[in-house]
Amino acid sequence: MGGKRKKSDDDDDVEAEAEASGWKKKTRTTSEREKEKKEPLRPSMIKNKEKRSELHAKLKHQKKLEKRAKAKARDAALKKALELGEEPPEKKVPRTIENTRELDETVCKPDDEELFAGNDADEFGPILNQQQTPKILITTCRFHSTRGPAFISELLSVIPNAHYFKRGTYDLKKIVEYAKKKDFTSIIVVHTNRREPDALLIIGVPDGPTAHFKLSKLVLRKDIKNHGNPTGHKPELVLNNFTTRLGHRVGRLIQSLFPQDPEFKGRRVVTFHNQRDFIFFRHHRYIFETKEVKKAESKGKKDKDGESENVPEQKTIARLQECGPRFTLKLISLQHGTFDTKGGEYEWVHKPEMDTSRRRFFL
Amino acid sequence: MPRTTTLECSGCPPLRALTFDALGLIKVVEARDKQRGAPLVVERWGDPESSKCVMAVSMIDRKSHPLLAVARKNNQIEVLSPVNGDIQATISDANDLDVQSEENNIVGLHLFAKQNSELAFRDCTLLTCTTKGNASIRSIELADSSKGSSCIKTWNVCSGGNILCCKVDGNEKFALFGGKCVEMNIWDLNNFTKIWNSKPPTKDNLGIFTPTCFTSATFLMKDDHRKFVAGTNSHQVRLYDVSAQRRPVLSFDFRETPIKALAEDIDGYSIYVGNGSGDMASVDIRTGKMLGCFSGKCSGSIRSIVKHPELPVIASCGLDSYLRLWDTKTRQLLSAVFLKQHIIHVLFDSNFDVKVADLLPCNEQTPTEILVSKEVEGSPLKRKKSSRNKPDGGERKKRSKQSKERKESKENDGWEKIASRDERSKSASKKGNKAQFQCCDLDVD
Repeated sequence: MGGKRKKSDDDDDVEAEAEASGWKKKTRTTSEREKEKKEPLRPSMIKNKEKRSELHAKLKHQKKLEKRAKAKARDAALKKALELGEEPPEKKVPRTIENTRELDETVCKPDDEELFAGNDADEFGPILNQQQTPKILITTCRFHSTRGPAFISELLSVIPNAHYFKRGTYDLKKIVEYAKKKDFTSIIVVHTNRREPDALLIIGVPDGPTAHFKLSKLVLRKDIKNHGNPTGHKPELVLNNFTTRLGHRVGRLIQSLFPQDPEFKGRRVVTFHNQRDFIFFRHHRYIFETKEVKKAESKGKKDKDGESENVPEQKTIARLQECGPRFTLKLISLQHGTFDTKGGEYEWVHKPEMDTSRRRFFL
Repeated sequence: MPRTTTLECSGCPPLRALTFDALGLIKVVEARDKQRGAPLVVERWGDPESSKCVMAVSMIDRKSHPLLAVARKNNQIEVLSPVNGDIQATISDANDLDVQSEENNIVGLHLFAKQNSELAFRDCTLLTCTTKGNASIRSIELADSSKGSSCIKTWNVCSGGNILCCKVDGNEKFALFGGKCVEMNIWDLNNFTKIWNSKPPTKDNLGIFTPTCFTSATFLMKDDHRKFVAGTNSHQVRLYDVSAQRRPVLSFDFRETPIKALAEDIDGYSIYVGNGSGDMASVDIRTGKMLGCFSGKCSGSIRSIVKHPELPVIASCGLDSYLRLWDTKTRQLLSAVFLKQHIIHVLFDSNFDVKVADLLPCNEQTPTEILVSKEVEGSPLKRKKSSRNKPDGGERKKRSKQSKERKESKENDGWEKIASRDERSKSASKKGNKAQFQCCDLDVD
């Protein structure tokens, strides 16, 4: 290729000499050659599409070769280290948004005695200390579509001791008063907009707090392929990555919806996984091999404490079957006390100026 | 919780603040270094217990024998020394418990700095007001708390509704009460009579009548009991003039959540407003114009705003568990301290700096504690950084160098600011001394 190009250039020079206006063309060619020598050749500098694409393909091929060479060198170094009995070279950790998260001084520390005192004193203390059984009232917004009750019927099968009441035209403050009289511990309001549930309001009774979540990516049970059908046992609860004070408080609010004594015979798991301030809800049935039953019990105990843990994803240990529903929550506001739009005060409100970085999270 | 980066905070002048939270803990936050000015929690008084939630506080801020009174959720009032937190007297409100078994918390508390001739035999005098409107003045002897309190006068402020805010003017002759379904009323504390009652505003052109619910109030000046500002549940700030009329003289809206905290400035016409969703602003009350916002830093409800009597610093605290210190002139955040619980009140102990020389043996121990706490705080950060950033050490080092350079430049700016503030504080202290000499008869706070 190079040789051919040179020959063609020589031919051009010869032709230029033959012509009368040869001087101008000679100067242009020399200036072009100087430019090429000074800067490394980039495909975008070539006007001709065919030549440009050829050069681009060449560069791409070279990059691929370099990558393979690096991988081979790494593997060779690893093999040599193993043969010589040395320690293998340290594995590099990829930089993700999670592990480059901005430092937050409100992250809960495990040896914080004030945290434990605050836990004993907050609104969820009687429920989480098993002095009171959680009792949930679920209702819709005032004018709803058919997707709201369908979602609620699946929520009723997920949350034990949950009762559905039609909304009618009652104010939410009156519903809260009714719930106080009937000894409910929480109220869940599913708000629908344009025929799709888009918000979830969880109100703690009698003293609050009120959490307002944005609900998205709702998939009902019938839309999940090979879905399982849950039994009536009390489910286990898995809460992942609720690290900060706000996340801890939201985690305890979610924990107060479920009973504190799960039945492991039923092999049901409800998972609230927090990642980048989105809370992912999943509902599974699992099957263990007989050798791994002890691990399940230990996990259950940890679930009672409400600590975050990861379910092992090895297929030979636990096989999961999703029961549905499947949705995603994002916290919009956390209000102190019960629901009050006009006179209530907020513990946390999301404001647009709080999003200062891609790596800043609040839960 | 929102996190303010350390690059934004320029540090605050040396000061001392007391914070009171929902578990009944009293935390002392001090900024001692004139250069850095990062405030830290140096002391913690009390044990965490939810029944000891602080409902109201009052403080006599003077150089000799300062006093601090704290009213708790179990209807117990403690009189402490703000220097070291020793309990000097305790009142367990047995009288109110016997009379009413309903929830009747103390919402207003005031320690009288002056001592009338009638009350000379006692050491301190308290005014308390409960939610149901039971106001009482009692005096207590500090040495012997076993004798109990002698209740001088008890009266009923309102027949119905709930009292939500209570304030005593600078001369301690008049008290201001307001609340839910209770209009603002001023009582004469010498004769125990109501001398003024506010009137609800008229209906608007749509015929809508807003129900009465006052959430916060403050007098504009220390010497004038006739002008005060009140914040309502319907996010309205109203200026009342007792000598003019019974309806508000000026009224304006602020954002969309109820006004939870009001504080007056020294000049007598500026106020600081904080609401339920964490917005805070400075307002000129003569015209109703907003001078500026303390924008973007808070995300929880603001429960208390306090102005430092000498320095140009205000403190705000609320349900997001942060104590924030702001500059009143530039409205910039000076510092933020995370205090782990909902904070109900904050107070400045402005006369404590003068006593640093007297308390040298105590100060010798606390710096070591500060150093220990700093070391403890430092090591986990280092470990986290080292564990996470090993593969990308070079880039991180470069970034850290850049941030260090920025910090150094800002520290230099902070030094200049602190130097200028020191000059201002000196001039302020001189003025204060002159004022004290002139007004020795009145015994102003």
